[in-house]
Amino acid sequence: MSQGIVVLAQNLPDVNYVDQATLLAMSLKHTNPKTKISIITDDEVEQQILFDHIIPIPWNDDAKKSQWKIENRWKIYHASPYEKTIVMDTDMLVLQDISTWWKFLDNYKIFYTSKVYTYRGDIADTSYYRKAFLANNLPNLFCGFHYFEKSDKALEFYKLLELIMQNWQAFYEKFLEGVTRPKHVSVDVCVAIAAMILDCVPEITNSNVSFPSFTHMKKNCQGWEDSADNWQDRVGFYISRNCEIKIGNHLQSGILHYTEKDFITKSPVVERYRNLVNV
Amino acid sequence: MKKSSGAFLIASNNMHIDYVKQAVFLAGRIKKYLDLPTTILTDAVDYLNDVYDPTVFDRIIPLNPSGATNEKLFFDGSMYQRQAIFNNRSRSKVYDLTPYEQTLLLDTDYIISNNLLKSCFTSEDDFLIYKNSTDVAQVRNEKEFEFISDTSVDFYWATCIFFRKNPVNKIFFDLVQHIEQEWDHYRRVYQITSTLFRNDFAFSIAIHIMNGFQKGTFAKEMPGKMMYTTDRDILWELDQDELMFLVEKKDYHGQYTPMRTKGQTIHVMNKFSLNRLIDKEIG
Repeated sequence: MSQGIVVLAQNLPDVNYVDQATLLAMSLKHTNPKTKISIITDDEVEQQILFDHIIPIPWNDDAKKSQWKIENRWKIYHASPYEKTIVMDTDMLVLQDISTWWKFLDNYKIFYTSKVYTYRGDIADTSYYRKAFLANNLPNLFCGFHYFEKSDKALEFYKLLELIMQNWQAFYEKFLEGVTRPKHVSVDVCVAIAAMILDCVPEITNSNVSFPSFTHMKKNCQGWEDSADNWQDRVGFYISRNCEIKIGNHLQSGILHYTEKDFITKSPVVERYRNLVNV
Repeated sequence: MKKSSGAFLIASNNMHIDYVKQAVFLAGRIKKYLDLPTTILTDAVDYLNDVYDPTVFDRIIPLNPSGATNEKLFFDGSMYQRQAIFNNRSRSKVYDLTPYEQTLLLDTDYIISNNLLKSCFTSEDDFLIYKNSTDVAQVRNEKEFEFISDTSVDFYWATCIFFRKNPVNKIFFDLVQHIEQEWDHYRRVYQITSTLFRNDFAFSIAIHIMNGFQKGTFAKEMPGKMMYTTDRDILWELDQDELMFLVEKKDYHGQYTPMRTKGQTIHVMNKFSLNRLIDKEIG
């Protein structure tokens, strides 16, 4: 069966998500050279050699007027060229061999991680960002890294996700308490609602395992008492010539979700990966 | 063949606190509750021999005065404090100095009141230390004992450690010694603002390094959970395994709530009140 990673990238005037996806592809080439990665985008891709497929966004761009560019996320299922797909956010780096993760994911038709980690390796308390989840007892699923195998079950899930994302206000009204409703469509919330409607949470996540997951660098879930505007101002970032990454005093492994858009311009990370993978 | 086992205490007096007295007291409790011999490393051997009964110790190892100028404030409840020298620069040498193959290294203000720590000696793990702890007051911010600084690595208590002699532990103690020697460098790298050398911090950093700068399995948890009272609390009564504390109230400076424990080993950071009660106990 074919398998690979898929990312969806739609640039904004001030954020180049294709560049982020390119960096992700470079990190993958270094740590998982046999793993394929495809990009779904209507934007220009410079380093085409890094991608297995460059796929146009199907069925027009639902996010044309959107600031968050997530309205097309449900299409990934249909656009993926692989039978088994890991979907990742573009602002991530793969820092280790994840072949055992693929083996684990063979046990699932759909899998979402339900716990994420701080840069110190502790389980992150994401409640600051997940008030709607807590207030409405939504399953704590993270779309930043998820998996599906093309199957009747996954198709049913994604069809419902499509319906929810295209009618998110109506679903928010039905499933979320008034004051807790996000003002914009959130793919994490929509996935949680879909999981709740299909009553399939135990089948699509596993809170007992420590992987697959990712290090979530949103600043308010790092367990810090003193805050800062962004994590890059609070802790040091270090990358060696062979692209070992330390944040603060902590060597990073697994998947790093760096979240801050200026990360790739403020740090030497692009240059280091370019030198390492020779592109 | 059975491995030799024992406890190891370090006592270095300053102008205000008699650590030797605490060590004599604790050695008696170690014998009573854990049935272990105790070795003491001290720079006050003559004082020990003159004032106390040295036979409570299995061995007495002389410690050369360090000449250290580490100073800190010692509190006796929240209303009284004294600045004094803090001679804490010998802990990393214990690996080389201990006469035992299996050593329980304790602070002298750790009041043993049960036999829980005996199980260390049958543990399959060769290095045990407390990471988890509980402030008996339950109202103070315990974050300072979670990480060595807000953005830095996990905090471990050097107060109570079990180790066996093996090559890995030798590397670990040598590493602690190196961190101690280069403290000014390491405290900056690990975002510690205070210049005061603390064994807790040095051991925490060394554990982090032994784990490859990640979460790891080098250090395993000591049995149970470490209970402590800070030096803002006062140890008021001590009768065998029953202790009564005056625990500082939250947001009421200098006001206390009485709290009693029985059969609970506790790290008593208020050394003044501990010494007062030891005086009563041993006359």
